[in-house]
Amino acid sequence: MKRLFRVLFAAASSRAVPPVVIGLFFLFYIGIAFFTDETLITLMAFTRKSMILAALLALIPLNRALRLVGETVRFRKMRRAMSGKTKEGVSEMFDEVVELSASAAHADMENRFAAAGYKMVRSGNVIAAWRGISNFPVRLLFLSGTFCLFTGILVTTTSRNAYRQMVVEGEPLKAPDGSNGLVERITLANANGPILKKTLTMEVTPTGSTSGKRRFGIYPPSRFGGAFVYPRYLGLALHLRFTAPDMPAGYETHNSLNVYPPGKEENVVIPGSPYRIVFSIPEPENGIERYISYMSGVVTLRFKLLKEKEVLFAETVSGGGSFVRDGFRLEIPDVRRLVVTDFIEDNGVLFIWWAAIFFCAAGVLWVPIRLLFPRRGILFRFDQDGTTVYSFAEGGARKHAGVFHEMLDMIDVKER
Amino acid sequence: MVAMKLFPHVLSWCLILLILLRGFSGRRLIVVSVGTAGFVLGVAGAVFLYNSFPGNLLFGIIKSVLGVSFALLWGVSVAAVYRCTARNETLLRGERFNKTSLPAGVVAAVAGMVAGAESVCKLLGGNDTTVATVLLVVAAGVMALVVRTVEKWLTASFTVSPSGMLSSVVALLLFSASSILRLDLFSPLSMKVMKGVHDFVHQSMESILIPDHLFVKPIVWKYIGFLFGKEVGFWGGIVIWFTPVLLIALAVGSRRLPSVAHIRLGAQRRTLLAGALRNQRLLLVLPLFSLVIFAAAAYQSSFPSVEYWDPKPLPVTASQSGEILIPKKGEIDLEDGKLHKYLFKQGGREARFFVLRNQEGQLTVDLDACAICKPDGYGQAEGSVICYYCKTLIPLETVGKPGGCNPVPVAFTVKGDSVVIDGMTLINSWGATVQATTRVKEGGK
Repeated sequence: MKRLFRVLFAAASSRAVPPVVIGLFFLFYIGIAFFTDETLITLMAFTRKSMILAALLALIPLNRALRLVGETVRFRKMRRAMSGKTKEGVSEMFDEVVELSASAAHADMENRFAAAGYKMVRSGNVIAAWRGISNFPVRLLFLSGTFCLFTGILVTTTSRNAYRQMVVEGEPLKAPDGSNGLVERITLANANGPILKKTLTMEVTPTGSTSGKRRFGIYPPSRFGGAFVYPRYLGLALHLRFTAPDMPAGYETHNSLNVYPPGKEENVVIPGSPYRIVFSIPEPENGIERYISYMSGVVTLRFKLLKEKEVLFAETVSGGGSFVRDGFRLEIPDVRRLVVTDFIEDNGVLFIWWAAIFFCAAGVLWVPIRLLFPRRGILFRFDQDGTTVYSFAEGGARKHAGVFHEMLDMIDVKER
Repeated sequence: MVAMKLFPHVLSWCLILLILLRGFSGRRLIVVSVGTAGFVLGVAGAVFLYNSFPGNLLFGIIKSVLGVSFALLWGVSVAAVYRCTARNETLLRGERFNKTSLPAGVVAAVAGMVAGAESVCKLLGGNDTTVATVLLVVAAGVMALVVRTVEKWLTASFTVSPSGMLSSVVALLLFSASSILRLDLFSPLSMKVMKGVHDFVHQSMESILIPDHLFVKPIVWKYIGFLFGKEVGFWGGIVIWFTPVLLIALAVGSRRLPSVAHIRLGAQRRTLLAGALRNQRLLLVLPLFSLVIFAAAAYQSSFPSVEYWDPKPLPVTASQSGEILIPKKGEIDLEDGKLHKYLFKQGGREARFFVLRNQEGQLTVDLDACAICKPDGYGQAEGSVICYYCKTLIPLETVGKPGGCNPVPVAFTVKGDSVVIDGMTLINSWGATVQATTRVKEGGK
């Protein structure tokens, strides 16, 4: 049983697992590309539906987790070996192992090591010398990053749910899990950040909560009722009344218009009639903020009234105002700001954000350590019948080999 | 002329044989005989397939084999890097197998067949190809004997790693294919990469809930928009194209030197290490050679020597009823099998389109644009039209059918001796296509 466990652990934690799994997914991708242009979306849909593909993808985070454990154990073992506390399985952790018949250290070793920049420590029958910084913390960060990244991809691919809602100022808001709230205010403002040019804030008072108002911005998105609030597009919620000479009873409706950016057109069809109204926001004059109407709440809509394909007239109407001509009347009693918002139920997002943080930290640490201070070490174990010398280098192997050979030669000369 | 056409292909074949002879140095006879037989079989098979199944079958098969060999090269290169970074480098079972006759025969046969099929593809479709085909086979046989003699003169210290051998054979096969439009892999690869990167970036942004361009600074969006451009396809293609061979070079270059710590004589240690380093440098020759050949293939693919038929669009106007009438015969013969381009302008808007008689003898009217790429237009080459934007080849028999990078078909009728197209439909179709592709290519998420 123990042997089986070891074999399974070795297979699951093998360095070959990620490239093999990624290679297989790449082959699926190529195969799908022969049949559809929407290759990535199709592959994601297959992975969501297929337990086998999901399990295959799950091998990568599992592998990373096992390697985290394995490398931590190996690091601790290496520390114990360097302090002379263990000699079990030590040789597997080093690049080179040499056995000499001499069984005593050279008196000048410490000076020679110091000259080469190595620190030397004696403990019992062991001398350990090293220089540089171990890349173990970087490995931990890197493995944690890949673990989080692939866990995030797995969770996102297999369990993401998205619900689109119109968040309208002054209207109730309902989250996918049933949480309720009232949208108090929507604010769009210019920003001076390095990435965002605008900020959008949706102030919501949750129903039955004592924690007060909640503010949902753009990035990073906050959660409401367990789902991320992801604002997508801006629009207007319109209360509209229309009468025409041939339909004196008129028509009244509440409509949401996806009319931003200015110039974008949206239709309102008057049911049971040949009429159609095409709304848009006029492009502001040069130098004036394009979204000024949304920011200020003072909205003037351009509209075209069509009877079948014929344009009857094109005019403008203000929010709260009306337009009358030739027996036609278009009234806009109320206009409110609206944000087309996706509510995303997806815990994978958090893993992907953490992955980004881990990768950044690993990259920042790895470059100077690998270039300037790679860890190199030599371990001498003196026994009655000879000396065993171990060496490893995480970088700068050529220079380290010079020091290693010099030390071996010193002990060997002493022996002669 | 035929000799000039075939020269790069025969040269590639000779170099492939030379490398295989050095790679399987204990199996020279097998490599030469099976390789040459494979070449002849490849030529015969290609001619048979082309004559029996006109169309794309032959080219599809060769392209698939090339694609699989390139994927195999990727796998080998990743394995090579993983192996060279492992603490304990052991000889894999496959490497022992490498020394036997079977792999030598199989590799030589496959390489020979593909090289032969590629070479004869250069001749297919021309007039009286029989003599040229026979000459090609004879030349390949003679060159095999010459190469066998030349290989013996090479220094014995010039050894070849299995991965280096594979990289150079695949590179030479791809180089040979790159001069034939219907076999080229690099341009379609770039196109696929462009689409793949677009999808990947879009999905990643959706996954981590990145805000839409409305909220993001234009300069930031410009950088993001770069990922949706044609250049990404090219540079992404370059990365995929060169990475395997670079990985193999890296694997060879970073192999662990032999342990010499047990030797107590410094001079002996240095001699051993110097020998190992010299051997390592010689092993690098083939990966670096492959790098040059891959570069040549990419260059040949990006700047093909083929001249496309690309007439200047002729202006046309609509009648009072809004119809465009183009006579089938006249100054221009619409049924001559060539692509004829026209430009229609109306009320400040314009549309570019072409009329072509396909291989089944049917006329087709299409926009000089597709639904995916920017409207850079099409040119006509042997048996196909090419999208100038993404360099995708569209077989003539599929022109007139919608989808992918095919030119967008336009409805038309034939009245008497004229092709009749509705001007408004044409303008609207062009407007919708160009608007859609511009949005996609210029950073629309």
